[in-house]
Amino acid sequence: MFLTNAVLGFLSPRVTVRAHCDLPCGVYDPEQARIEAESCYKIIEKYAANDDPAYRTRALAIKEERAELVKHHLDVLWHDYFKPEHLEKVPNLHDLFWQATKAASKVKGSTDLADGKKLLDLIDEVDAAWKATGGLEKTRVAGRPS
Amino acid sequence: MRPLRERIRGPWRVAVTEGSMAPTILPGDWLVVNPLVGRWPAPGAVVVFREPLGETLAIKRVAARAGDQVPFAGGYLTLARGEAWLAADADEKAAAAAGSGPPIDSQRYGPVDVDGLVARVLFRYAPLRRIGRIGRRSRG
Repeated sequence: MFLTNAVLGFLSPRVTVRAHCDLPCGVYDPEQARIEAESCYKIIEKYAANDDPAYRTRALAIKEERAELVKHHLDVLWHDYFKPEHLEKVPNLHDLFWQATKAASKVKGSTDLADGKKLLDLIDEVDAAWKATGGLEKTRVAGRPS
Repeated sequence: MRPLRERIRGPWRVAVTEGSMAPTILPGDWLVVNPLVGRWPAPGAVVVFREPLGETLAIKRVAARAGDQVPFAGGYLTLARGEAWLAADADEKAAAAAGSGPPIDSQRYGPVDVDGLVARVLFRYAPLRRIGRIGRRSRG
């Protein structure tokens, strides 16, 4: 399991490109938020390990930007993917998104790795909710790349 | 054009979101791309580039290059030096059938300068069952 994850982590691209469409394509995946949140996490790590003021300033600016994207992707999932009937399967849905977007706001201003980790954990909970409501089968064209 | 020193840093691999390149390229596909390209490849090739509006990193197919004429706004537009016309594979009908809105391409933001070119798409390496080269497609 660890090996599979390590290999997948190695193979997965770091850059996302958009085959840009106008309206919601019906494609939703918490992975989008997770990648940005992982960026924040790594930036906090790198920030702590570097004394160069110019580097640190850049790191903070980029982290703010990435954290804002996390909030955006979470909002899109919340507003556009999840429907009222999903509340049966995930009764704490609204609270979960509230916590997750608040955690993203926290990460914007924080250089504490624990905040970055908490955000990742909450996004994993959103991911579980997405899977529990059939997101993997319904919103991806051919599932996640395997 | 970005200097070679910058281009060599990539991206060499990208993940795709959204559906305007269906059925050739689908959301979730992982692609190997060549960031060393310095000019627009011949029409039919798939490229990664920065959209003129908003800097979005996008993927589309080259439909025409400098000197070509493209139908635009009821007339024709001749592409200037360094410009390319980029088009989605999915047309509005196909996109609507798949439940998404009209693709956003050069019809929306006009020609794209070669400064915006980021990479040429070579092949897909995931999902495993659809591994293969992303080649030229003859223009319809």
